Amino acid sequence: MEETPVRKTEHGIPECMLIIDDDEINRGILDNIFSPFYTIEEAENGKIGLEKLLARTEDYSAVLLDVMMPVMDGMEVLRHLKERQLLDKIPVFLITAEASVDTMREAYQMGVMDVISKPVVPFVVQRRVNSVVELFRARKRLGNVVERQQSELLLQAQKINELNQGMLETLSAAIEFRDVESGEHVRRIHDITSYLLLHTPLGEGFDEEEIEQIALASIMHDVGKIAIPDAILNKPGRLTPEEFEIMKTHTIEGAHLLERIPQLRENGAYHYAYDIARHHHERWDGRGYPDGLKGDEITIWAQVVSLADVYDALSSKRVYKDAFTRERVVAMIKNGECGVFNPRLLECFFTVEKDLAVMYEKEA
Amino acid sequence: MDAWKKEELAAAGINVEDALGRFMGNEMLLNRFLKKFLDDTNYGKLSQAMEAKDTEGAIAASHTLKGVSGNLSMTRLHELLTSQVAALRAGDWEAASALMPEISQAYDAVVAAIQRSA
Repeated sequence: MEETPVRKTEHGIPECMLIIDDDEINRGILDNIFSPFYTIEEAENGKIGLEKLLARTEDYSAVLLDVMMPVMDGMEVLRHLKERQLLDKIPVFLITAEASVDTMREAYQMGVMDVISKPVVPFVVQRRVNSVVELFRARKRLGNVVERQQSELLLQAQKINELNQGMLETLSAAIEFRDVESGEHVRRIHDITSYLLLHTPLGEGFDEEEIEQIALASIMHDVGKIAIPDAILNKPGRLTPEEFEIMKTHTIEGAHLLERIPQLRENGAYHYAYDIARHHHERWDGRGYPDGLKGDEITIWAQVVSLADVYDALSSKRVYKDAFTRERVVAMIKNGECGVFNPRLLECFFTVEKDLAVMYEKEA
Repeated sequence: MDAWKKEELAAAGINVEDALGRFMGNEMLLNRFLKKFLDDTNYGKLSQAMEAKDTEGAIAASHTLKGVSGNLSMTRLHELLTSQVAALRAGDWEAASALMPEISQAYDAVVAAIQRSA
């Protein structure tokens, strides 16, 4: 007979086999057959065996189960194990002297791995039991590998997301730099948009993931400015009507640009980004551009970014102006000096404006 | 195991080679269980149950003894008990009862052989 050392679990603990049989000789014979492979534990009836199994389920690699026993018979033990779905985890072998077809069928249906007749033939029972235990061990190992790979994939997906966001931020910041503004602007638009949606009723109906997508999309609201000539974009004085017409095209150009990035179109943030780039200069009264949308025709996310953009432009220092004081900014928005907004949007905005103002305190 | 012991046990209907195979050549273990067989109470329980016409008791004792005798390769005794358990399960009390003298004879022979050799 081949000699194999006692099997160890992953943690180096010898694997355990439970022999449940009321007959001492049977237990002795099976113990003698399997002690080279496992640490053997014995139980003299089904009740004791079941208690051992339930107390330390994880420790057992195999169970050899007699059918006819006092107190609790083998079939009853099987029913309890099936009820707790343990027959999928621990291979159970029925060792029986008289297996009627009905008993065997019931046992197999419940999920025993094999039915072995008594008196046992050592090399047969050894081979049949060890093969199945090996199978369970391989399955468990494979399950662990798959689990580990899944968490690695999740981690990679997260990294890719972060990389995506980083690239979008970099791209947007590069465009803002051309506009002689700092990368801080896009960062603040992101934060204001996200804050308004998370902390006011404006965000109702959006879950956290959608709000983050909208905030990410807000970063790209001005990407179309890449298509505007420097002379117009950075003109210190007032734009002529012709120049302003060209300036206005940054909305449509931005939307077209985003449309042409296939990888972005598969991103959940895409349809927000497209809409925000195109419509962040629309006005509640219908006098904005490029499409002259009115009232609720403008999506709530485009409205939020539009207000965030105005608020940030007023609150920070630009080449053509100093930062206005907080009181002045609030007054200008309230009086409609910088555009006409949805009254509900303004109402929500003013409830949290004090929290947003904190962002500009260090600059003042 | 000494040759004369094997012959003694074989004469009483015990297939020693077969039993040793089951114990994977472990003679000490076989000896231990042969000795323990002398203390086994199932034969007494079976006799009592047959006298008292206690079917359930008879089945339990006959079944257990059948298992033990099978494991120890007591071929003759095992065959007789196999027939008896089948008869009892089938409700054939007459047949089960008729097997008792032979069972007693086989049992006594095995016990005597173990006492002499072990």
